[in-house]
Amino acid sequence: MELPSRWAFLLFLLLSSTKAFGSDVDKEEFQEELLLKPLPDRKLLAHFHFETRAPPCDSNGLHHHHLFPKSISQMVEKFRVKEMELSFTQGRWNYERWGGSDTMASNNAKPPGVELWAVFDVPKEQVDASWKNLTHTLSGIFCASINFLESSSMYSAPDWSFRQASGSLRYGMLPREAVCTENLTPWLKLLPCRDKAGISALMDRPSIYTSLYYSQRLHLTSNASDLEGLDSGIVLEQTLTVVLHPSSQRTSLTHFSQSYLQPSWSLSSIFGRKVNGRCVLAKSSKVYLQLERGLVSQLKKSENYGADYIASEGYDGEANFELTVNPDRVHKEENSRNGISSSLLYEFSVDRYSNSKPFDLGLTWKFPVIWSCQQAPLHASRFLMGSGNERGAIAILLKSTDLNDSSPVANSARDGCELRVNIFQVVPWYIRVYYHSLQLFVDDQLKAVGAFVEKIHVIPSKDKISPGMMEMVLKLPCGVKSAALTIDFDKGFLHIDEYPPDANQGFDIPSAAIAFPDFHTSMLFHSNDSERKSPMLSKFQESSPVLLYTEVLLVPLTTPDFSMPYNVITITCTVFALYFGSLLNVLRERVGEKERLLKSKAAANTGLLSELLSRLSAKLRGRSQEPMQSPSKLSPLINSKLALKVLLMAALAVAWQYYFG
Amino acid sequence: MAEEISESPNHPPPETPPSPPSEPEFDSKTMRKTKPGLKRLFLTFTVLVSFLLGFPFLFKSVEIYRSPLPFHDIDILSNDVVSNPFLFPFHFQAIFVPSDPKSSSIDVNLDELELSIRTKITKLASKGIGSQCGACTNNFTLSLTLDNGDCTQSLSKFYKCGSIRAADLDFSDDESVDEALESAGLDFGGKVYSVVVVVNGDGVEGVKVVVGKYRHAWIVGRDWRVEEVAERLAEIFVKVFVNGGREEGLIHGEFMPVGADGRIVLSFNLLNADPRDWIYDWDFQKIDETLLAPMIDTLGPIANISVESQVLYYTPKFSFSSWDEKLGGYILSTKDLPFFVNSNEWHLDTSIAAGGRSKILQFVVYVPSAKECPLLLQLPNGEISKTNAFISPMWGGVMVWNPQSCSRDSDSELLVKHIMSPEDLQKIFEVFAGQFRQLFGLKSGSLHVGALDTYGLLASEKGFTEWELDFLSRQHTCFNIHSSATTLGSLSKLVQSLPRMIIMDEIGKQVKFSLEAANLARSNASLGFYDASAVSSRQARSLAEDAFFHPSIMSVSYYSFEHCFAVYSPFFLPVSMHVLLAALREWRRYKQEKAKYLLWKAKEKAAS
Repeated sequence: MELPSRWAFLLFLLLSSTKAFGSDVDKEEFQEELLLKPLPDRKLLAHFHFETRAPPCDSNGLHHHHLFPKSISQMVEKFRVKEMELSFTQGRWNYERWGGSDTMASNNAKPPGVELWAVFDVPKEQVDASWKNLTHTLSGIFCASINFLESSSMYSAPDWSFRQASGSLRYGMLPREAVCTENLTPWLKLLPCRDKAGISALMDRPSIYTSLYYSQRLHLTSNASDLEGLDSGIVLEQTLTVVLHPSSQRTSLTHFSQSYLQPSWSLSSIFGRKVNGRCVLAKSSKVYLQLERGLVSQLKKSENYGADYIASEGYDGEANFELTVNPDRVHKEENSRNGISSSLLYEFSVDRYSNSKPFDLGLTWKFPVIWSCQQAPLHASRFLMGSGNERGAIAILLKSTDLNDSSPVANSARDGCELRVNIFQVVPWYIRVYYHSLQLFVDDQLKAVGAFVEKIHVIPSKDKISPGMMEMVLKLPCGVKSAALTIDFDKGFLHIDEYPPDANQGFDIPSAAIAFPDFHTSMLFHSNDSERKSPMLSKFQESSPVLLYTEVLLVPLTTPDFSMPYNVITITCTVFALYFGSLLNVLRERVGEKERLLKSKAAANTGLLSELLSRLSAKLRGRSQEPMQSPSKLSPLINSKLALKVLLMAALAVAWQYYFG
Repeated sequence: MAEEISESPNHPPPETPPSPPSEPEFDSKTMRKTKPGLKRLFLTFTVLVSFLLGFPFLFKSVEIYRSPLPFHDIDILSNDVVSNPFLFPFHFQAIFVPSDPKSSSIDVNLDELELSIRTKITKLASKGIGSQCGACTNNFTLSLTLDNGDCTQSLSKFYKCGSIRAADLDFSDDESVDEALESAGLDFGGKVYSVVVVVNGDGVEGVKVVVGKYRHAWIVGRDWRVEEVAERLAEIFVKVFVNGGREEGLIHGEFMPVGADGRIVLSFNLLNADPRDWIYDWDFQKIDETLLAPMIDTLGPIANISVESQVLYYTPKFSFSSWDEKLGGYILSTKDLPFFVNSNEWHLDTSIAAGGRSKILQFVVYVPSAKECPLLLQLPNGEISKTNAFISPMWGGVMVWNPQSCSRDSDSELLVKHIMSPEDLQKIFEVFAGQFRQLFGLKSGSLHVGALDTYGLLASEKGFTEWELDFLSRQHTCFNIHSSATTLGSLSKLVQSLPRMIIMDEIGKQVKFSLEAANLARSNASLGFYDASAVSSRQARSLAEDAFFHPSIMSVSYYSFEHCFAVYSPFFLPVSMHVLLAALREWRRYKQEKAKYLLWKAKEKAAS
């Protein structure tokens, strides 16, 4: 295969263009990080964070990729996705115990099943078409039934409560989507190292799928036409959040009983694997251990040392806990509010470890610590009221988490301040919500809705076309103890072929999203050097409103007996056949001959037939004279007919079986 | 109404049988005096008959909709495509130019030569290779011209006499000759394949045959016989210009890696088997702009080609290789090649950017890990492959690229990304160009071995020469027609095998239009309108595939015959029982009563 002269003249072209090489290739970068965080209820949070960046699109629109996944960039380009988030979640985030107002909860706590939202950079009338194509593409990429979100009755277009996006945002949820490894594998395929090396090698399927909470998220932003002029290309952020239950296998020798002591863990004990070095393609590969504010303040209290000690030497042997690996750096949260202790972040760099020296971070508690996490301003829950298959009501209950004074609401509750709450709820069309029946109870007293609602936007559902959507901003007094919203609904009827395979299980109403626009989460970690911050820490630093999702509701609808149409056919046909048959028989009946026959028979048996007949007729007219004579006479006739029919049927059935079966 | 009928005095008055005692003995059990009535018999039979008549209407009403497909026409087309392949008309011309028009005149009998060439072309064309689709059999024109300055024997309508002068040409430089011949305008006014024969040419040893980049070739030499000239000319015309210079048994001619929408996506993948050893990267943007763009432009008339690339990591191969001391490398023999592509780990991916019907050709550069570093492909004859590459028809090509030194650069803590040098890339893309040509069924080398001697083929820097493109477009037309015929054939088989499948009107229309387009393409081709033929053949194929992959065909009707039976049997089974039994009974009774009556009649006759 030699093409002697063909390429020769092109060589100098290539040679002349080598200078631009390095910078061009290096623009695509990949970073991997893992955050571990002990939770107050003896659980452990592991949060994997991978970020891949692609340089902005070239003028010709073609992309040649070195690290960035080809499929994602082609998708972004084809459907002009501006921003998109897709999450697969199993289990429910426990807002009370695992935190409600920190960045982790509001960014990574997702409703069960699949949640997808996307903002498109297309004219408004094309948004729906782009969304439909996007759902199909995503379901192809992620091996999930995201394509069910294609139908217009499954997605909605929130205006302002979910995100500011001026009409080009689409939002859909599949609460019942089962999440499993077949969704994780394509997700891992988007990472340059997949799970062959680096931090992602920790993802041992049995351990992460037996976790209490599992959420796999993909978030991408493409700033193809950024207003700020900052063209950052496509940023693909992939996170996996799991809440694990470490079982402390090492029996502690301290005098504290096991039940008070937090469980000790190590990477190998919770994942069954160790990190054998970094992914060689990653720009940085880091593991963080976060101690949240509550924990740090408890540690401070238990030791008679100053805050500085913990900040600098928290991993010391004399402290409350022991780490098997010395951290490379300790970050301290920069907190504007004095008096509240700030959280600590231990940083471990995986770069130094290799196959022969694997990285296995372990934490052993020495003394029992009890702390609580940061709560959201209000705790939200949603439930169904009413019984029966006809109607019911949805109630959203917001309860103050104000147990002690540390709650942010209580701090500012002195004067007549107001707490704003955004509620965004999508209800499928077969739950016919009556929005006029909206009732608001504040501190268990029925209040006029208008007095507390600042803004409300309702799109009623259209049967089989679009779901009902409610966006609302509530303005509650700060000292509110509880607030409840109730809406009545009727349950609709579905067409027989619209029922899912397991209709008797009931239907899911997707989670409502509740946001507190006045409360923002951001954690600013002080870093000593001017080195560029890690993507995860800069994510923590971004200010985002506190967001929480309520439970998914399961509504039982009347499910028909699916064999009913056939039963109806059968019974109607039988009635028709009976009518027809009897009509035919009557048509060809010879009354005179029959009577003669009966008479001759009667004459043969007894001479009393005529008498009997007259008695029978008398009885039929209503006067009871003689019981039960004629049926016995008629029954042999009927029986023989019946037997003949049954035989014929049986013969037909046998023939059918023989020829067609 | 029922009562009225039943009370009608149809019956013989049975109570008064023995009224005239004088008559012969009358047994009321065995005989009757009146004729048996026909009313009830008629009634029951009317019902039965109307039922029987009603059945066709019922079947008609429960029939599912099937658009009538032209099965017969489809059969004709597919038989036609197999039995008599496409015939394209060709125009050949041979121009004889003496090297020095003044001194020597050639005494060639052109008529004799022409006859000789004609018979040779026919012989070559009929020899298997010619019976392929797109070949020529007898449908060609041949014109010979002798240009010895005075243009006496000019027969060609394409060639303007005197435009070539052998003295101006330097036959040691093929490129310049090629350009000079092109500027002379040999194919004046049409696609003509011409061969210039320079008689007694200087500066060449023996005979030199070169095929240029355009639609011409030239033969330079001295001291030859007429038979040899005819042989060479026929061979150049048939084997090179018509059959694209391909060897038999390379890739089956019916396959063209072009999608139904006329698009090809070239997906280039650089696979780093183990990035812990080394990471190689390339600057694909530059390659795309400098090397691929001209080739894509050239192929524009045949296919719309787009290019994409990616780099993948941790992609080991499937098959094992063994160390060979003598060859100094890890050897992978040809029989292991089917297992080389590791579809579990090589996430080559289909392209989202491409439409559903585009053909994706994967080109893979495999960088082996340190454990298997000089990885060499061994040919069946024991030699090492020079290109270290192989193709898989209709899928793409794989090339193994070994780094310069196979030693791991693990001494440095942080691995450096190597960028492939432009020289390496150029080598790689030469191989790719060859592979790409092979996937299209063309030769990747620059020599054609003929019967008498070896012909030099001038390679175009665009990857494909003009006569090759002609050949490809003919081939593509053929392939499209063939593919649409087979697709329609499968569709008709499928439809006929599933009698309860719904067939939408749209499918019927698509099939009809596809057939029309295919027939149009065939007639256009035989008339010589290549471009129109190519367009309608492409249309035929895409319509045929549209019909075959129509979404409504995928959802085969669930309304099966069993279902139909189950729905209608609860009514028709009992009713038909009643009707049949009633008819049977009435018939029997009628016969019985008639026998009774006849008996009475006979008795009466006997008595009287």
